[in-house]
Amino acid sequence: MTNVSFDNVLINFGFESKKSKKEILRSNADKSVYMDLTCYDPAEFYSEFSNLKGSFAALFCDEDKKIEIHFKEKNPLVISKLEELGFKPVETTIVSCGFIFPRTIVQIINEAYYALGEKVASKEDINRAMKFGVNYPKGPFEWSEGRELYVTTLLNELNSIYPSGRYVPAKSLMLKSGN
Amino acid sequence: MGSGIAQWFTQQMCQVELVDNSQEQLQKALESIHASWDKLVEKKKLDSANVAKMKSLLSIKSLDAVSKDADLVIEAIIENLEIKKTLFKNLDAYFEPHTILASNTSSFPIELMAEAVSDKRKPLFLGLHFFNPATIMKLVEVIQGKDSSLELCQKLYTWFDARDKKPAFCKDSPGFIVNRVARNFYGEPLRIVETDDENKMKEVDRILKEVGGFKMGPFELMDLIGIDVNYSVTCYVWEAYGQEPRFAPHELQKQMVDENRFGRKSKRGFYKYD
Repeated sequence: MTNVSFDNVLINFGFESKKSKKEILRSNADKSVYMDLTCYDPAEFYSEFSNLKGSFAALFCDEDKKIEIHFKEKNPLVISKLEELGFKPVETTIVSCGFIFPRTIVQIINEAYYALGEKVASKEDINRAMKFGVNYPKGPFEWSEGRELYVTTLLNELNSIYPSGRYVPAKSLMLKSGN
Repeated sequence: MGSGIAQWFTQQMCQVELVDNSQEQLQKALESIHASWDKLVEKKKLDSANVAKMKSLLSIKSLDAVSKDADLVIEAIIENLEIKKTLFKNLDAYFEPHTILASNTSSFPIELMAEAVSDKRKPLFLGLHFFNPATIMKLVEVIQGKDSSLELCQKLYTWFDARDKKPAFCKDSPGFIVNRVARNFYGEPLRIVETDDENKMKEVDRILKEVGGFKMGPFELMDLIGIDVNYSVTCYVWEAYGQEPRFAPHELQKQMVDENRFGRKSKRGFYKYD
């Protein structure tokens, strides 16, 4: 976890439990907070904390460091600070649990794990199939490498909001994420 | 799709016979393959001597005139199980015992089609699923059915791997790899936008391209593929997995199909095309 503060602003990066994220917001009630909420539903946080002025999703970002960001209150200084830190913020107006890219990608990753668990194909061949059959920039396991905990956390979060069975993490993924 | 597959194999300097019921279709396919090669010579992507050789290697045949001693036959006809099974039964009887029979199906279980051939042929029966356009897309799913010989699948994998293809070995299961794992590239964005809201769709397409690095967004891609086609694949995979919620079609897909909004081909899909 990293915090960057300036003036009256706090930017909070990294993965934390939902409880810890809320604790950070609670203990910085006097600040305008912009927070990485990749694995959670920003709507829930906005409704609980009026000091949360924006949220972003940086946990799945690539070498190109492009991240989705949503502003409740736009602050150009936050954008320039993120740029200073090497990020390329891409603004969105859609508030959705897991934002747009992480939510879509964890579902693709989860399905790849289901297929792997059912021994449909190897990791290598699933990566290959998605890159050379439908032009994905990366294979599902290349995206998830080292991020399995974020993937299961977001899936569990989606599962608690939409308990239809769509978002149940694959066993082989849970084992990998240590959940 | 058969002509793209035939073109690719000929480019590997294999002797290829392209077969169809319609002589007219065959003639058209041959002309278009020749034209494509001539263009590639112009662009200096192919050597004219090689193209002359390829033209001599590729011929068009009616089914009763095709060489009985072919090493490999790839079926790429209409996606109808009964028609495919009838064809495979005839192919099994027609070709020599060593001929490998493969289906380019994107949906039917290899096991079901293999029922149509003799027990002797079963080990030589497998799935070879190409992606459109076959001369450009590098993936071939090499699908091992219940009775397909593992050794044969591995041999073909190695053969493709040594050429201009990226093979992926997979077990016989609904949607194989791509049509299964790619489902939620559409299903999840549909649930993010929820309703027929063009601005939201534009935004989701933009983010997935810009942040995710995808070449096309899900909504523009569904419009290109055909929303009806994409919807029917979704329903097929969903049903094949016992209506598993991970594959459930979205209301919006059905709404589009019901309103004849199929995408680019009907000038109206998620977006408008004039």
